[in-house]
Amino acid sequence: MRSQIDPISLAIIQNRLDFIARQMGWVMIRTSRSPIFNQSHDFSCFIADAEGHLISQADGIPIHTGGGGFAVEAILDYFGDDIYKGDVFLLNDPYVAGGNHLPDWVVAWPVFEGDTLIAFTCNRAHQSDIGGGAAGTYNPEATEIFHEGIRIPPVKLVRDGEMDDDLFRLLMLNTRTPHLLEGDLLAMIGSARIGAEELLKLSASQEGGLRGAFEGVMDHAERKMKHLLQNLEDGEYSYEESFDNDCFETRKIRIRVTLIKSKDRLTVDFAGTDPQIRGFKNSSLANTYSAVYAGIVSFFGKELPRNSGTFRAIEISAPKGSLVNPNPPAPVTMCTVFPAHEIMHCIWFALTEASPERALAGWGKNSFPVTSGRDRENRTWVMYNWSACSGAGATRTRDGFEQIGPIVTLGGLTIPNAETFEQIYPVRINKQELRCDGGGSGEHRGGSGVDYDVEFLTDVEMSFRSEGANRPTGVGVCGGGDGKMATMDLRNAKGEAMAVPDYGNVSLGPNRMRISSPGGGGVGNPAMRDAELVLRDVRDGLVSIEAAREDYRVVVNSASKQIDWSSTRSLRNNAGSS
Amino acid sequence: MANRREVGDSADGLRIGVDVGGTFTDMVVASPNGSIHVFKVPSTPSKPDDAVLAAVEKAANEFGMRQDDFLRSVSHFIHGTTIATNTALEGKGARVGLIVTDGFRDFLEIRRGIRDNPWDHHAPFAPVLVPRYLRRPVKGRLDAEGKELQPLSVDDIAEALRTFREEDVESFAICLMNAFLDGKHEREVAAELESKFPENYVTLSSEAAPILGEYERGSTAVMNSYVGPRTINYLRALEKRLAEAGLTSPLLLVQNNGGITSVEEVADRAVNLMLSGPAAAIGSLNHFAESIGKNSLISMEIGGTSCDVMLMNEGHVNYTDRLQIAGYDIVSPSVEVHTIGAGGGTIARVDEAGLLLLGPEGAGARPGPACYGFGGEQPTVTDAHVALGRFVSGPYADGAITIDASRAHDAIDKHVARRLGVSVEDAAIGILRLMDQQLVLAVQKLSTERGNDPKLFDLVAGGGAGPLHVVNVARNLGCQRVYVPRISGAFCALGMLGSNCRHDNMRFFRGILGEISPDDLVDGLLDLRMEVIDKLLREGFKEDDAIVQFTMDLRYVGQQWDIPVPVDLPIEYDRVRSTFETMHEKLFGHVQSKGAIEVRALRSSATGLMEKLVQPQGAQTAAPPVPGETRRIWVAQKSGWMDVACYSGATLVSGHAFEGPALIEEKTTTLLVGDGDNVTVDNAGNYLIMMADNDHA
Repeated sequence: MRSQIDPISLAIIQNRLDFIARQMGWVMIRTSRSPIFNQSHDFSCFIADAEGHLISQADGIPIHTGGGGFAVEAILDYFGDDIYKGDVFLLNDPYVAGGNHLPDWVVAWPVFEGDTLIAFTCNRAHQSDIGGGAAGTYNPEATEIFHEGIRIPPVKLVRDGEMDDDLFRLLMLNTRTPHLLEGDLLAMIGSARIGAEELLKLSASQEGGLRGAFEGVMDHAERKMKHLLQNLEDGEYSYEESFDNDCFETRKIRIRVTLIKSKDRLTVDFAGTDPQIRGFKNSSLANTYSAVYAGIVSFFGKELPRNSGTFRAIEISAPKGSLVNPNPPAPVTMCTVFPAHEIMHCIWFALTEASPERALAGWGKNSFPVTSGRDRENRTWVMYNWSACSGAGATRTRDGFEQIGPIVTLGGLTIPNAETFEQIYPVRINKQELRCDGGGSGEHRGGSGVDYDVEFLTDVEMSFRSEGANRPTGVGVCGGGDGKMATMDLRNAKGEAMAVPDYGNVSLGPNRMRISSPGGGGVGNPAMRDAELVLRDVRDGLVSIEAAREDYRVVVNSASKQIDWSSTRSLRNNAGSS
Repeated sequence: MANRREVGDSADGLRIGVDVGGTFTDMVVASPNGSIHVFKVPSTPSKPDDAVLAAVEKAANEFGMRQDDFLRSVSHFIHGTTIATNTALEGKGARVGLIVTDGFRDFLEIRRGIRDNPWDHHAPFAPVLVPRYLRRPVKGRLDAEGKELQPLSVDDIAEALRTFREEDVESFAICLMNAFLDGKHEREVAAELESKFPENYVTLSSEAAPILGEYERGSTAVMNSYVGPRTINYLRALEKRLAEAGLTSPLLLVQNNGGITSVEEVADRAVNLMLSGPAAAIGSLNHFAESIGKNSLISMEIGGTSCDVMLMNEGHVNYTDRLQIAGYDIVSPSVEVHTIGAGGGTIARVDEAGLLLLGPEGAGARPGPACYGFGGEQPTVTDAHVALGRFVSGPYADGAITIDASRAHDAIDKHVARRLGVSVEDAAIGILRLMDQQLVLAVQKLSTERGNDPKLFDLVAGGGAGPLHVVNVARNLGCQRVYVPRISGAFCALGMLGSNCRHDNMRFFRGILGEISPDDLVDGLLDLRMEVIDKLLREGFKEDDAIVQFTMDLRYVGQQWDIPVPVDLPIEYDRVRSTFETMHEKLFGHVQSKGAIEVRALRSSATGLMEKLVQPQGAQTAAPPVPGETRRIWVAQKSGWMDVACYSGATLVSGHAFEGPALIEEKTTTLLVGDGDNVTVDNAGNYLIMMADNDHA
């Protein structure tokens, strides 16, 4: 169906839909309880049409992009015509309900024009705890999805305006943090309700309702994507990323992507990716699609819309039973981080080969654990060590961000102040400072990562899930170098070093943990970097004098902290001719 | 100066407000009998004080007085300055040295990784204001209760100071961990700095922004030291020039909180001047609330590049202390102004997939809209107005520009109409619909978002471009009435004359209502009160005349956002809880009736009331208004093209009333009234428009 909407109304409606999605986000931030929402924004608000096509997701984290359609399709499959005004749906299961992983719960509010279902306003949000084998939703020892928390098929949480109290009590019993979950669930419903109300107001102001407008919005996005693809050279572009382990034993596990670009279409083929694994790094199909979409949109830039129309030109092939489309009951909770990170890297680097002028370097893979403990009232607290986040990769237009939230949020996750964590958790943070020579060298340098040093003052449990500590993960491109890998050091109260697993849970008393987080990759030949920028990095202690000479071919006098121009010129000339 | 006046002295002379904008410097002169005069001179961006003096000279001439006599008759000279903001925008601030706690050298550069738009993946951050080699660590630590874990290292301080001297650092900022709980370590460092660098600007984070969060607190301290020296030098130089030219009263500034203060009081807090111009809108709303007879108002001031929205609810304007300016996060008590990049010069374009987009790029003052003929090629909002007959070819803005309608037509045709496959007229209509939509959304952000129904507010137009949009925006929002001041082009300069003197302060506080003693809260609030009252006393106010307001930042335990709840002494928990719940319900739609409430901060403000401006009395007439001409103008979506009576504003006086559609051309602005709307020129000589019902238009 091609829409007949006039171009002016299209512009007006597109803006309004995005405004509504953002408005839902404001409500969520201001009313929710968990720091994971109101500090870290680990949720997405979106609008889907009556068939489950994603129409707007102006507010939300990138790794939720596009996954929303799966959830709404599952509701339509389960309930068919049994969807009425006053119903509110809830789901999370990746195998039967279009979820991405169990901690992300989706609330969906059906919106009716008269008696006709026209849309769903939805909120997908990462809950603080949903039971399972470890506090805080990440259980690195899981080998089945049953170890990861409560599974929820599409259900009516609210029927005809009445909360299903039985169901609600069941949910509250299956979390370690009911004091947070209750308020958060109500906040999710509240934000979906606001979205529905605003959508109806918009519908009333649009002659003929919104259905035609939705088509117009998707058609525009499709044209935009196809325009970009037409300007890319036809061909096949591949990249292979990997894990070092399956969460239990060391072995290489491959994620392979081949992009086949032909005219205005793009096929993303995962053939060559390894079979599903024992540990919880399998990717649900919804997550695989989301990671592909996030990789493509971030590569091309901010003006590309992010709705189902954008992705009509893209076909994804993910072999059944592989790591990126596993069979149940494979565990999947880690997938929104790993292998989402690997999938985005594959997309970026394959596209970089097709379009080097837009080159994106890799981001360091996060290596910090989730720490949990109990407060004086014996309530569980869960702390993500975000202050140990990695450095980002460079682009053609900037250096990498020195430290930033995970790649799957594209930095949308805000890192907390150390002071805030000292107020709400029994911790003392001693250090959060940039690393020297942490960032990959390049004409545009990778972000440096940080040295993080924290003392936990009470008994805690650490849930490790690290990828960045065995080899460099912030991959450099187009001549740029890789960022440094992470290092981990954990000591008990006596100062004795403790073993740190890549994956697994460790219970221990008061302790001190030091992490050097991995740096991001560089873009372009470092010998082409502006020598004044190299000097500044040296003065700032972010690049050593040795690295300035070896990698950047800039000679800095250690006493005067000035560039030795004649040596630099001869070094750089030699580099150019070699 | 023995005869030097003070801020709190009576307003028995002329009052002057000067607003320095990017293109024009506006001056409004109010005389004790209520007459108001507006003067506009071109701004002189490299030396803004020249334009201020030029405006003084122009005004003195107009009054037929010598410049020194004119200035001697001024009781209050109030200035809104963009110098602090421009210093940050242009990167022209001081070379700052920052002292931090060992281990936390980089919060300023990490900036919590905040990305306004994560999808804008290729965009860099704003440059860091202090390079890493000038961010010097010192050992010494307070814990999360504010107790000393480790004393300050004297050696580290000495080492930092040595570096600062070698590097010719011009000003200093200090941000130590947990200093919001106790500033003693920061004061120790400051004492050292002041003994070694007695002439330099020093900002302590614990004084500039005593909030939890090293990034925001430190960023504020750094910004203050970055813009401070240049800002204060400019203000002192201007004050000196004005004094030499005859001014006997102190130069006064508008602060972010909308209150005025003297150069001396703001000298160590330049960061409080980042919103100096737009914050003055609160004074205009205060002033017009009287002639409108209503104090629930929303102002929409639209210039060439942006639109500033402010909301006053039953006399109260929202305050916030989180600002983002030029990509930097700042904490400073401020009236809430919501700014969007939509003005007369905002550019329209069509993307490669056929979608019409408006802004945020603008053509600025130069080259400006295509119709100005200064070399602008891209169609703008102003060009759309031209294409729809709201402007015709010829001189505007007191002769400062000349419009060429054919240029507007051509620009829209080439860049929008042909690419969309529609007529120039439809393209222009589309541009204005997008503009009005952005304005509506901007107003809704401050109203609907905060639980305020815009239908209950009157919309007040400001800025040169506001009066062309205000009626249509009001209709979209469902507002009943619109008010257009005759001098809306000098909205903020006038606002300065309606501003009061005001000081704010705050301190961190943590405790659960019911668990802590009310006495602790009262003690904290009274300490804060003493500080702000002292400032008013120094400015010549009497303690009895000061209006003090106390506020506590409250939240349910576990939430991350505070609600600033006004409180009275003595503190009664039941009353505090019920006020909090009422506000929570309004903002978020629900309350948690037994939820524990946490106190997060204490705040106080002290206001010294200035004498109100005398409401001017416009000339009266019994004669009916006579339009100059009738013109074909596209009025609104539903009414389309109509024959519209066009009036010269100079022919309209108090008592005139007529029905729209109508176009009223004032010296510095143009007002469009919709079909069936009723216009009255009120006693103050301004336009009050009763909106026809929506079906009518």
